[in-house]
Amino acid sequence: MRRWVSGASAVALILMPTAALATQGHGDPEGLVVHQMSHIFFVFSMGILIYWLRARDLVRHVGWRYIQYSSVFFIFWTLDAFTVHLLDEGMGIIQVTRIDPWHLRIESPPGLGWVKVLYYAVKLDHLLCVPGLMFLYLGIKRLLKESRQAEGGIRYEEEIS
Amino acid sequence: MIVSTLPIWFVDMAGSVFMILFSFMSIRLVRLIYRSDPNSIIWTYLTWVCYCLAGFAISRSAGHILKQILFLMDRNEVWDGIRPFSGSINTFMLIIVSSVTLFFQRAWHIYQEISRDKEALQTAHTELLSLNQNLEQRVKERTEALALHEKQMAQADKLASIGQLSSGIAHEINNPLGIILGYTQLLLRSEDPESQKHEDLKTIEKHVKSCKTTVEDLLNFARSSKPKKEFFNIHETIDDVLNFVRHRSDMHGMFMDRRYGPEVPRMLMDEKKIKQVLINLLMNAKHAVGETGAITVATAYDSERDRVSVMVQDTGYGIEKKNFSRIFDPFFTTKPTGEGTGLGLAVSYGIVKTHGGDLLVESDPGKGSTFTMVLPVGGKRE
Repeated sequence: MRRWVSGASAVALILMPTAALATQGHGDPEGLVVHQMSHIFFVFSMGILIYWLRARDLVRHVGWRYIQYSSVFFIFWTLDAFTVHLLDEGMGIIQVTRIDPWHLRIESPPGLGWVKVLYYAVKLDHLLCVPGLMFLYLGIKRLLKESRQAEGGIRYEEEIS
Repeated sequence: MIVSTLPIWFVDMAGSVFMILFSFMSIRLVRLIYRSDPNSIIWTYLTWVCYCLAGFAISRSAGHILKQILFLMDRNEVWDGIRPFSGSINTFMLIIVSSVTLFFQRAWHIYQEISRDKEALQTAHTELLSLNQNLEQRVKERTEALALHEKQMAQADKLASIGQLSSGIAHEINNPLGIILGYTQLLLRSEDPESQKHEDLKTIEKHVKSCKTTVEDLLNFARSSKPKKEFFNIHETIDDVLNFVRHRSDMHGMFMDRRYGPEVPRMLMDEKKIKQVLINLLMNAKHAVGETGAITVATAYDSERDRVSVMVQDTGYGIEKKNFSRIFDPFFTTKPTGEGTGLGLAVSYGIVKTHGGDLLVESDPGKGSTFTMVLPVGGKRE
């Protein structure tokens, strides 16, 4: 009897599916949400890296200090990018129209004129992420130099343990 | 508000090129640094970060450059097709860089613990290896030390037995000698000083006195006579003894050096007996040095053990190995007949032991000897 009831239930579930039982859909805003979450995650991780470098006093080495600056620039850059995405796609408070290849029209609700200036400024995000990468490059260059100067390479593990 | 896209376009294009450039330059350097120490977790982390940021830079910058070109070509629909993939890769790379950074902290702690365990294991391994390799040597050293200790014990036993024997004989001889000396001196009073008989009695007196000195020495060695202790300054005592020895013997060609240690306290012991030990040691040193050489007398205070060391060092001919175990034996001497009784060191040994101290000797045949008298300060300081 019990076996018969179980079998009948299984058949009913297969023949009469509902939306709740199907695989979840991933519609349009999800991509933006995931991307914005990745920015927040990135800010958090860079903050942790700065804390770690300072807690272990590695920043007294020029190389690690540059890497710290790189993390600071990446934090500012990712906040900038987050704002751009928010204004572009998330909030819908500005309207951007391309008039021709070299001109844009930016419109905002009355009383929010400053948002247009902010939007234009944050669009220049490479002014933050390029210095970030540049400092990362300079930091690694310096660490390599120190590593070559010290015979057998610097063992930061031993130094900060 | 109508704005020019030129600044945005310029910053976007130039920035994208620089992003790709710096990310690849970083990868080139981080690969070099990683190769210098592939086991370093820090270099591994930086390598991962650089690769992920390069992936991010390529995906984003190439996307931006392509987007600008497609906009200029008025082919927006092509960019609309590419955009989701470019954006997804950007998101993906950002998440990887963030994850690597976060998990690096945890991996770091684990790595530290593993490194500590590895170090402890390596230390234990080295110690075991060293123990295994040196076991034979250590057993040999311990055996030699044990043999030396047994030899010292046997020597101490031997000296104690000789001491007992000497003490018994000395007591028995001392009384008859006293009677002989007394009667001799009594007879001398009634004899004419110019007579042959007076001269014979004088000879008897002289030899009896000599016998009495030997008996007293034997009693000193046997520790039978109790020391008369009083506080004195050991440095002043050494100075007195050195003056006495200088006056008694010809020491013109000899170099005498005094090195007194600081803070040596006054000592409670029989000064006369200590003087006797110092005279014996200095006379032996003088004999060993010969006409020219150096004798050093040094003192030191060990506050932890509350002991004073008095060292008499000479640059003489030293003690031969075969004689080493016999130097404290009564009547043992290497001096020519008539120059020494062989009781000096034996008596000194007895005196030092009576005072609760120790008499140590080191010798390098042909180079010299060092006798060190280690004495307890004794009693309450003044």
